[in-house]
Amino acid sequence: MRNKVAPILNLVENSDKLKPLTNRRPVAALPFGCRYRLIDFPFSSLTGIEVPSAALFISGSGHSLYDHIRSGSTWGLESRVGGGVFTHSHINLKAELEGTELYTGNYYDDHYHFVSRSNAEYVLLMGSNMLSNVQLDSLMRFHLKKESDVTVVYKKIKRGEVRKDSIHTSLSMSESDSERIVGFNSIADLTDTENALLLNMEIMILDKETFLKLLYKARKQQKDVTVKNLIQFSLDDDKTIFGYEYTGYLKVIEDISSYFQANMDMLNEDNFNALFYRANPVLTKPKNSAPTYYGEQSEINNAQFANDCEVYGKVQNAVIFRKVSIAEGAQVENSIIMQDSCIEEDVYLNHVILDKHVYVKKGARLEGTIENPIVVAKDSIIYAEGDIEKGE
Amino acid sequence: MKTETVAMILAGGQGSRLGKLTKQIAKPAVPFGGNYRIIDFALSNCANSGINDVGVVTQYQPLILNNHVGNGANWGLNRHDGEATILQPYSSMEGEKFFKGTAHAVFQNIDFIDNKDPEYVVILSGDHIYKMDYQKMLDYHKEQEATLTVGVMPVPWEDASRFGVMNTDKTDRIVEFQEKPENPKSNLASMGIYIFNWSRLKKYLVDSQAKDRQLTDFGHHVIPAYLRNNEAIYAYSFEGYWKDVGTIESLWNANMEFLDPEHELNIRDRKWRVYSNNPNTTPQFLTESANVSNSMITDGCYIAGEIEHSILSHSVKVGKNSYIKNSFIMPNAVIGENVKIEKAIIGEGAHIHDGVEIIGTSDTIEVVGYDEEVGGYSDEK
Repeated sequence: MRNKVAPILNLVENSDKLKPLTNRRPVAALPFGCRYRLIDFPFSSLTGIEVPSAALFISGSGHSLYDHIRSGSTWGLESRVGGGVFTHSHINLKAELEGTELYTGNYYDDHYHFVSRSNAEYVLLMGSNMLSNVQLDSLMRFHLKKESDVTVVYKKIKRGEVRKDSIHTSLSMSESDSERIVGFNSIADLTDTENALLLNMEIMILDKETFLKLLYKARKQQKDVTVKNLIQFSLDDDKTIFGYEYTGYLKVIEDISSYFQANMDMLNEDNFNALFYRANPVLTKPKNSAPTYYGEQSEINNAQFANDCEVYGKVQNAVIFRKVSIAEGAQVENSIIMQDSCIEEDVYLNHVILDKHVYVKKGARLEGTIENPIVVAKDSIIYAEGDIEKGE
Repeated sequence: MKTETVAMILAGGQGSRLGKLTKQIAKPAVPFGGNYRIIDFALSNCANSGINDVGVVTQYQPLILNNHVGNGANWGLNRHDGEATILQPYSSMEGEKFFKGTAHAVFQNIDFIDNKDPEYVVILSGDHIYKMDYQKMLDYHKEQEATLTVGVMPVPWEDASRFGVMNTDKTDRIVEFQEKPENPKSNLASMGIYIFNWSRLKKYLVDSQAKDRQLTDFGHHVIPAYLRNNEAIYAYSFEGYWKDVGTIESLWNANMEFLDPEHELNIRDRKWRVYSNNPNTTPQFLTESANVSNSMITDGCYIAGEIEHSILSHSVKVGKNSYIKNSFIMPNAVIGENVKIEKAIIGEGAHIHDGVEIIGTSDTIEVVGYDEEVGGYSDEK
């Protein structure tokens, strides 16, 4: 399989509803599950088809993301005999520049060069906001077996699993062949009566030649190179598009609530095993660490921790990242505590998301709800009196 | 820039006093403290001391050890101006190069050291738990204009007869060496850490090889030979935590001490980190039925039982209603349900089936070996 696929990760993803967590980082760099970032999941999927290189397109500087990816060697994306991570920062997509003069830089050229210079025969497009663990080797086999021009990954979900005004799309299948995609709709346009839908997971595989043709169309019409647009171009050209059904764990990370829920989902063993143990091993940037210490008085009930924590308090239904300290008498419930945060004595946190490096002073109390967890921005300090000194 | 110092970590020892724990792996590769192998301490000391050229001399059961050390990248030792190199015995025109002793192991690797052409060679053992700045010892070696400096540690007088003991004069110059003496004249124990001027040591080793091949061990042969020739040998006194974990008892003890959050080793010190080959695994999952106190747990663990005053290395599974106390569980061990483990060391990848009890006594520590299976259905009749 090696060297057959050229993956393009479109990480220019809408992050407005994830603020303040996305104030300074793209969706792909969002911390998840004690020790990961969302980008780890597509990258780990890629290890299943042994790709030697990948191209990334991102809107900001990508600092937090590149710091995590480094050379890409964790996922086998670094080799002295070709390959590597090709990064393209400061990409502005048309959708975000409405009304202003369109600047695309070398957007189309960058896609063209990455694909045309690659020895690969196929192109794979994916993003990072569909938290999942897709077996791409199986997708590839399906694509070949169906002799499909284009194959798109989807999952059957309930209407309520995504936002009502979701920016994502639902696929419609042919009446004669339930695997053949004949159209799509914006989820926001669906009527409430439709209970189930086939979510377009925005993962697409197609051969190099077809991709280059579709890319040419995108450039000509000045449209973004997204799975949605490429499906439309393929339909316009009467290409055969097959849908590959994914049945593993999926969460669309589109707002704070879905982000919170995805983390909490991992505390359920079925979800945890489905995401981490049923498909590709999930790899992340290796970090040096000491084991986590649980003190004499600590009381833990259904919680996950990364290494390097020191826990003396009570933790229930919570996801705790690296280097977090929780003092005696503190109580953390239904919360996500990111790296380097410090929770002093007698603090009470319930339905709270602490971004990195938040300091919660002795006796402080924060209580959100499951629909509206309280999000505390990076580097903030929370005082017992309820004052919050904002970080970023 | 010329290489000033090369460190040689002698990691070939079998560690036979660790019994079944070293049946499949060399002692320096034995897991320690949840996230480490014993050799990590010496390797991290080299990295933190700015010694970037490190030879790791292996011999006995080297596969896991070699795999663990790799090219030294995890310790930052894969630099353009330095590297970690695994040195294994090999055969050559002069015959097989298996190592007959610590000094002989260095003799066999003269080519490796000469290739780096260093001024000094630091000889280290791969089986001690400690944090030490070798650079400070090297500065001392230069100040004293020594040809050999020996790292020593004051030990309680009653224990001194278990060590190689250095008698020094008022200037800390070593005047006598006693190997495990009945009546020690000093309580300065050798830590097995030596700094030699390379050209001088090489001459001794080469001359001995040509003559009578007597210099095979540093403690038994090289130091006495240096003393006979009135070389400038100085003692460098180390104060701090240092533990030889060569026995089941000391390995268990060192791990139990390691649990103390106030431990002198200060494993969470960001300025002097102990690096290791960290596995890429899932977070620690403590379920509703888990109960954990005064314990260290590592990534990849799944805990549904009760853990008290114990260290669980990475990727250990503990089933419901199981109880683990005062024990050290090595990586990838699987412990079923209703298991009781007390005062024990459970080897890497061991499988303890449901309902088994493994309980040490006041004077013995129970040990389950590498990949060993205890309990469960047996196919044998």
